[in-house]
Amino acid sequence: MIKNRETDRGGVMNLQVEQVDKDLVHNFKIIGEIDIYTAPKLKEHLARLEQAEGMEVELDLSEVNYMDSTGLGVFVGFYKEITAHNGKLVIKGLNQRLYRLFEITGLSDIMQIEQVEGGEHDASI
Amino acid sequence: MPQEAGKQYKKMLENFLRSQGEEDLYLGQQFSRSFIDKNIAPEDVISIHKNSIEELIKELPSDVSVSFDFLIEMMIHYGLALKEHQSLIRKQEAIQMEMDLAVRMQNTLLQTATPEAKGLDIGWISKPAKQMNGDYVYFLNESTNEVCMAVADIIGKGMSAAMHMSMVKFGMDSLRYEKRDPSEVLSFINKMIEQSISDSMFISMFYGKYHADTATFRYSSAGHEPALYYSAAEKKFSLLESKGLLLGVKQDAVYEERAARLEENDFIAIMTDGVSETRTEEGFIEMDVIEDLLLDVKTENAQTMVDYLFTELSKMQNYQLRDDFTLVILKKTK
Amino acid sequence: MNHRSSIEINTEWDIVAARQLGRNEAKSTGFGTVDQARITTAISELARNIYLYAGKGKIEIEPVRVGQRAGLIITASDEGPGIADLQKVMEDGFTTSGGLGAGMPGVKRLMDDFRVETEVGTGTTITATKWLH
Repeated sequence: MIKNRETDRGGVMNLQVEQVDKDLVHNFKIIGEIDIYTAPKLKEHLARLEQAEGMEVELDLSEVNYMDSTGLGVFVGFYKEITAHNGKLVIKGLNQRLYRLFEITGLSDIMQIEQVEGGEHDASI
Repeated sequence: MPQEAGKQYKKMLENFLRSQGEEDLYLGQQFSRSFIDKNIAPEDVISIHKNSIEELIKELPSDVSVSFDFLIEMMIHYGLALKEHQSLIRKQEAIQMEMDLAVRMQNTLLQTATPEAKGLDIGWISKPAKQMNGDYVYFLNESTNEVCMAVADIIGKGMSAAMHMSMVKFGMDSLRYEKRDPSEVLSFINKMIEQSISDSMFISMFYGKYHADTATFRYSSAGHEPALYYSAAEKKFSLLESKGLLLGVKQDAVYEERAARLEENDFIAIMTDGVSETRTEEGFIEMDVIEDLLLDVKTENAQTMVDYLFTELSKMQNYQLRDDFTLVILKKTK
Repeated sequence: MNHRSSIEINTEWDIVAARQLGRNEAKSTGFGTVDQARITTAISELARNIYLYAGKGKIEIEPVRVGQRAGLIITASDEGPGIADLQKVMEDGFTTSGGLGAGMPGVKRLMDDFRVETEVGTGTTITATKWLH
């Protein structure tokens, strides 16, 4: 578990990953902003997970308020790795803005994406 | 040994010992530059000082004299650090030159001419946030009746982005005479990229083709921002959305193709997230900010509109682009 | 005049002995204080590399005269692991960041001639010469 809570809200290196495994499903909760600075940390964290055949991974992004394309790249790379092992990737707790990002990029059609409850997706952005 | 510098140093030190005034210190400070110019190492400076003081003060205690030998020993590593620093600076200058050359090469390689199309006014801009542009605009003028355009954004920035972009350009060039539809172009580029791109890389692309005789714009999107379409008759904006996955993620991705018909004074704005995701101190701007800016200049020609948006949006970011900025505007004329 | 003196490097104290020997030889060859300090620092770095990376080895010091030129040749040899990427080791900024002191580029700068022979698994021999100007 990475623990480095920073009080400075403007801090770019603000990212926290918590692993809460239940049964055979690996659960990650990601907290902070995923951008060009924090993406390598997230990537490294996910890479530590040993790939097993048919593994299921759930990523909770309900406390991620910002993600740029580098962040998206981490999920794309992770998705490729998991599907190569016939596994399943679920991304949940997306806020409206992030949901829109997964939708525009077409990733919502290949990954299982769950929007945060009550966060109705607004077609007119 | 730098004897000339030694003589001058001794003279200046002598003056200072006598006056102990600021003026002599100032002269000394000026003189110290010449040590660096003449490549005299810190340990040599100590040695010069030691020799000078021994000559100036005859009854200098031997302990004091010997203490300078200790100081010389101390300064050897400083001297090495200085030399290393100088060598690293030269190295950095060389790298900078290579980088400048690469930027010029990229610009030459990826340059594209604004096409001419009957009844269509085209304006565009593509500005990198750093040296290398990760955004790309591509035009293909098949005839004055048919114009193709692609706006692409590659993940990441800098050198690797630029290299992948060249790959995309050559892919599109190879389709030059084949008159493919937007969806076909995207699936071709996707297959090509998917084979040679690393796992966490991808490219988003909006590809459009304008047919002048029917005033129809056919478009497909590979995970790219939707374009904005303004209808002059309805005085209303709408999004040109088309389903399709980012390029380089999945070999067999399929791309939807849609079409829009343009009337006089209608316009289409194709952009990258450097425009739509403009981040100011207060947070992200919303699409209505971009729409309002476009409305300010809707009667101007396409290039004036593009330049106006760039100026206004970069002003909102204090003239410091956080991301590459690319905008293409197509405006239907008579 | 070509007497060659040698010091075995096994412990950190041997580094000090190698320095002392180097300084004495530098002085008797006619080097000034600053060059004595440079030669000694170079010996120190070479001996330290032996101590840290090879465990043991030796430092040899030999005064030379070629025509009008007098100088001092330092040879550091060990049967340690050898250097796999010599180019990297000779690069500025490589050793300093790792906190290894002046490193090889430093020794090269302190001396006039510098030569490395190394083979992975066999050992390393470094020869460095300083000429009296």
